Amino acid sequence: MRDSVVMHEDRPDTAPGAGPVLELAGVRKTFDGFVAVERIDLQVAEGEFFTIVGPSGSGKTTLLRMLAGMEHPTEGDIIVRGRSVRHLPPNKRPTCLVFQSLALFPHRTVGENIEFPLKMRKVPPADRRVRALELMRMVRLPEGYYAKNVTKCSGGERQRVALARALAYDPEILLFDEPLSAIDYKLRKTLEKELKDLHKETGKTFIYITHSLEEAMVMSDRIGVMRGGRLVQVGTPEDIYTRPTDRFVCEFMGEVNVLPVVAADGAYVCAGLTGRFTPPPGGPQPPKGFIVVRPEFLHFVEDDDTTTENVIVGTIYNEYSLGSRMQYQVRVGDKTFIVEQSRRHACSGAPDRPVRIGWHARDAIFVAE
Amino acid sequence: MATDMLEAPAPSETAPRPAPGSRALAFLSAGARCALPVYLLLAVGFAAPLVAVVAFSFATPRSFDVFATFTLENYATIFDPANTVWLSFAWSLGFAAFTVALLAVVAYPIAYGIVHLFGRWSGLVGILFVFPLFISENVRLFGWVLFFIRNGVLDGSLKALGTDGGPDVLFTPGMILFGMVYTYLPFMLFPTVLGLSLVPRDVVDAALDMGATRLQAWREVELPLAMPGLLIGMLLTFVLAAGAVAEAKVLGGQSVIVITHDIEIAFTYSQNWPLGSALAVLLMLIIGGLTLAALSRLDLDRILGRK
Amino acid sequence: MNPQEQRLRRARLMTAAWTGFVLLVIYLPVLCSALASLGKGRYFLFPIRGWSVDWWARTLDSIEIGMLLRTSLALAAAVTVVAVAAGFFGALAFARYDWSGRRLYQKIVLLPIFFPQPVLGLALLLWFNAVGMEMSWRTAIVAHLVWIVPVVTLVIAIKVYGFDPALEEAAFDLGASRLQVLREVTLPILWPGIWSGALFAFLLSWGNFPLSLYTTGADSTVPEWLYAKMIAGYTPMVPTLGTMSTIAAASALGIGALAAMLMKRRRAA
Repeated sequence: MRDSVVMHEDRPDTAPGAGPVLELAGVRKTFDGFVAVERIDLQVAEGEFFTIVGPSGSGKTTLLRMLAGMEHPTEGDIIVRGRSVRHLPPNKRPTCLVFQSLALFPHRTVGENIEFPLKMRKVPPADRRVRALELMRMVRLPEGYYAKNVTKCSGGERQRVALARALAYDPEILLFDEPLSAIDYKLRKTLEKELKDLHKETGKTFIYITHSLEEAMVMSDRIGVMRGGRLVQVGTPEDIYTRPTDRFVCEFMGEVNVLPVVAADGAYVCAGLTGRFTPPPGGPQPPKGFIVVRPEFLHFVEDDDTTTENVIVGTIYNEYSLGSRMQYQVRVGDKTFIVEQSRRHACSGAPDRPVRIGWHARDAIFVAE
Repeated sequence: MATDMLEAPAPSETAPRPAPGSRALAFLSAGARCALPVYLLLAVGFAAPLVAVVAFSFATPRSFDVFATFTLENYATIFDPANTVWLSFAWSLGFAAFTVALLAVVAYPIAYGIVHLFGRWSGLVGILFVFPLFISENVRLFGWVLFFIRNGVLDGSLKALGTDGGPDVLFTPGMILFGMVYTYLPFMLFPTVLGLSLVPRDVVDAALDMGATRLQAWREVELPLAMPGLLIGMLLTFVLAAGAVAEAKVLGGQSVIVITHDIEIAFTYSQNWPLGSALAVLLMLIIGGLTLAALSRLDLDRILGRK
Repeated sequence: MNPQEQRLRRARLMTAAWTGFVLLVIYLPVLCSALASLGKGRYFLFPIRGWSVDWWARTLDSIEIGMLLRTSLALAAAVTVVAVAAGFFGALAFARYDWSGRRLYQKIVLLPIFFPQPVLGLALLLWFNAVGMEMSWRTAIVAHLVWIVPVVTLVIAIKVYGFDPALEEAAFDLGASRLQVLREVTLPILWPGIWSGALFAFLLSWGNFPLSLYTTGADSTVPEWLYAKMIAGYTPMVPTLGTMSTIAAASALGIGALAAMLMKRRRAA
């Protein structure tokens, strides 16, 4: 398990020699002895879209609230552009949080909400209005909404108001606390793309937290996976998907097949399964670990197939339609495997009929115990 | 969403089927049937007496022939410039206004503490503030007499310490005001607690996060959002203080005659029910006007229904 | 410790200090009464020279005071029973059912709370007289109910707001009769609200003075008697009975809270 990860040196959008915009140095937070966040070291580059993913209770919200200044680290330091902000209250920090609840002011109009940070800075009303309308265009809110009561806005509109309001503060870093979690699937997909566009357009650093790895994959430049207050892996979406460093990260990505295996004569065996399994080529081969196979990499093995290294025999006992794909549950002994195939490669076999399933060694992931 | 937190759970529209035997009431909705006992009580014990008071206010002075005569004489007497009863009104409304202002300042920090700072002690603190309501106000006010009176707790203690003794504050208007602030504190405190707990924590945090100072966040966000509760408290204490009489009698020692005392005198010693009724009607107009104006603007589901 | 936590700690300390001070002021006169009841003399002089419980003994022995207590108790008990019954249904109408007259009803229920009690007492006095009713502690029941029923309604309504009507529907769906639903689902869930409503009703009636003053006729409750003696004819029985009444109220509250706690624990077990 790694809990300190240094930013990529080869990021194209980081000016050479420029330091990271945000740096966490050994940040730790305890509540009455309970460790919420355990010694996190992290650097985020200027203009990066960094997402922290983790299940509830993993400490990601606490971490974000520490960045915003609403919680204070028990140990460690938070540095923005080389300056420690650890002792600064939220209103003196160059960060702005978009709350999960959005925290729009219910007694104010859309325009007043967006202008709030400007008003606090005593910007003249006329200038505030110009800026608010500009931001409304940016987040695709119609101009007519300026005088609308926020409580009368729809969910998606409120997201946009919250975003515009945060941008009006003009922070160095925008923080997002799962703002899309209460939105229905279709609208969420649209808003994810818009947020990504907005990130590009503003060039600001975004730090986003979510429990959905799928959401993180769509938007982020880099992802940090959190569990039990620790950052267990940090990397690009590609890294996380293809080279997860432990079983938790694998399983967090959705349904996967996990085989606990032990080494035996250059291959691996799994208790309760007949057959020997070839580990993915390259990489270390410790005596114990897990072979992880994603459902889409498991396929039905025809009798004349000789290229599939790993084959097991089981029976289909359930099948589901996922739209363009089919999912099967295949029982092998007391274990259940999940197989996902496009309809073209669907299995024609009837339930309870024995089937052969298998995977190529190169498609599996090996994680150490 | 922030605003969702303010929306009360919608009451269900489904009503249980009417019970057999309640056929006479079957044309009423379930809610109306449940409200019936309360309505009956309020009709007999609240509306009817008030109607009687209004009727009496138009009867011949010093008579008991209600509905038999109609005269505006009682009102004429009150508005007669020679009559000093306006002074009683002025005292009562003045006391009420000062009571509200002082209570707002006294109660706000305590309410804030109960909602945000006291944590698991909040319940106990709440009970300690409710409990005085269960002791009759005259007992508590009399305790102050024992405290401030010559050779009382304060005076006696100071003398025992070798000084000249306590200040002579009993039976002054200031003492009456103090008594009112003292008596009506819970009526300001609990609506304020209710109001403050209506303010989502996130929204205040968001204001601070976006550069507002503590004062700005309070003025722009917390105060306006807590206002419904504060208004209820202010209205309640104003109305109760305007009609209060025990403070003036026990602590004021009759140095000031408040309006309710005038009404009581008319009803009891001078046996002039019509005049007393006319005074009561005027007081009720002031109180009722204020109450109805404020209540019509409040959404009670939102204030009480939050969970 | 960082400056913000320090600030929070300071705010908490200052608020707690202010709250403590206000509580001290609130209970100071109650304490003064208790002190006055423990003096030996006929008149209250502080510091107390001779301590004694004479006045407590005399107050307990007094037949007159026994009658006062019986009247106050009977009144409070009657008020509690009626107020809880009316308030329970009143709260359902307030918060449970969505019926056309609800908004208006919610406001009408509040009106007696927003009304000065002495004026209400006088209005009731006039009304009872006008309809020729003999005034006694029984008429005072009506007077107390006028302001206590709305309070109990509110106390129970707050609990009702948190009650999910789907539970009742589910019970009906599972074959329960109306009465069974009430007994098995509605009442047990609303029980804490009803219990606190009952406590409020009893204690508010027990301590009420302005309504009793004008509506009990020849009968007298504890607060009324205390008031009469305060105005004319002080005896140390005044603070003694006042203190006793306070202790009784505190015990009732304590026992009520304890019973609620035991009930909760038994249910949880």
